[in-house]
Amino acid sequence: MLLRASGDRNNESYNLDAVTAEEIADLGVINGSFLMELAAAVYSQDLDTLAEIRKRGVDILGQRGIADAMGIASGFNGITKVANGTGLPLDESTKIVTGELRTDTGIDEYSEAFKARKYDQLS
Amino acid sequence: MSMTVSSEVLESHALAVSLFGLAGTWLTAEKRTAIWVEARNAVDCTLCLARKQALSPYALDGEHSTCTDLPANILEVVHRIKNDSGRLTKRWFDEQIATGLSREEYVEILSVVATSIILDSYSKSMGLSDYIIPTPQGGDPSRVINPDVVDEGAWLPITKAEQQTEEHGLPNIPNIARAMGLVPSGMMHFFGTMRAHYSLAGDDFGISRSQVELIAARVSSHNECFY
Repeated sequence: MLLRASGDRNNESYNLDAVTAEEIADLGVINGSFLMELAAAVYSQDLDTLAEIRKRGVDILGQRGIADAMGIASGFNGITKVANGTGLPLDESTKIVTGELRTDTGIDEYSEAFKARKYDQLS
Repeated sequence: MSMTVSSEVLESHALAVSLFGLAGTWLTAEKRTAIWVEARNAVDCTLCLARKQALSPYALDGEHSTCTDLPANILEVVHRIKNDSGRLTKRWFDEQIATGLSREEYVEILSVVATSIILDSYSKSMGLSDYIIPTPQGGDPSRVINPDVVDEGAWLPITKAEQQTEEHGLPNIPNIARAMGLVPSGMMHFFGTMRAHYSLAGDDFGISRSQVELIAARVSSHNECFY
């Protein structure tokens, strides 16, 4: 997860558990709660929520900031389909760097092995 | 409220939209545009909505709600990638290939759906009109096989590449950039669109890098993406 690398670069420590938490929580990133709402809105594609996020976003992030934030979220809405749709394994170096983090945040539950155990057995 | 779209995004999206209307490497232009139409409308599919509520996507059989004449195996791939990609497994992938879909066709469908998701997500998120899906221009798929692929543990072979670890501990060519290596044209179509919104190296954002990565991580979590 590059969020941790970004924090390391800025000498900041983030509450990474919040990334996968169901409820929106404070990560320690500026305007983090709003950005999590934005991510949920772009994922859901609910038009009313998106309109409300855009309106607030201009005040919080500025015109350029909200446009870039929407673009990043839209891009990741697409790229995650590529990873999910190819059963893509982690790169070896990423596996090493993020091992503890993936366990702690529950990201391991998104792995192919975990999903196969969870869904294939229930048919 | 009108939102300003950067010229880089406008240009990359215009090119991406036009490419749907041309024959691909394995799919005709008619199929590529139909797949976009299908992906756009799949959000209202009653079978997909019911499956999303089920503990396992295998719990319910049925037919997808459709607005195109795409065959059933392509419909299943388009709808699952669009609506429930977080619960895809190797078993599901093998079942789709067993229907007669080639691995290359699957990758091109994946590229078309994933690219359309970026375009449609962005226009809706920015409060813009939907892009007009182009009229298919005809022509035949080139059917060029890419031999430069390798098995790295994904469901499909990915682009062959010498990986080196960068200063930050991550690879210079991450697997995600290699995932659709069986169909280089599909890979370029997708990443040509993606790059206008995000890059690992770029720093030209109107928000901080930490904010960028928070959005990326949270959207990935919503999509139950391990990678």
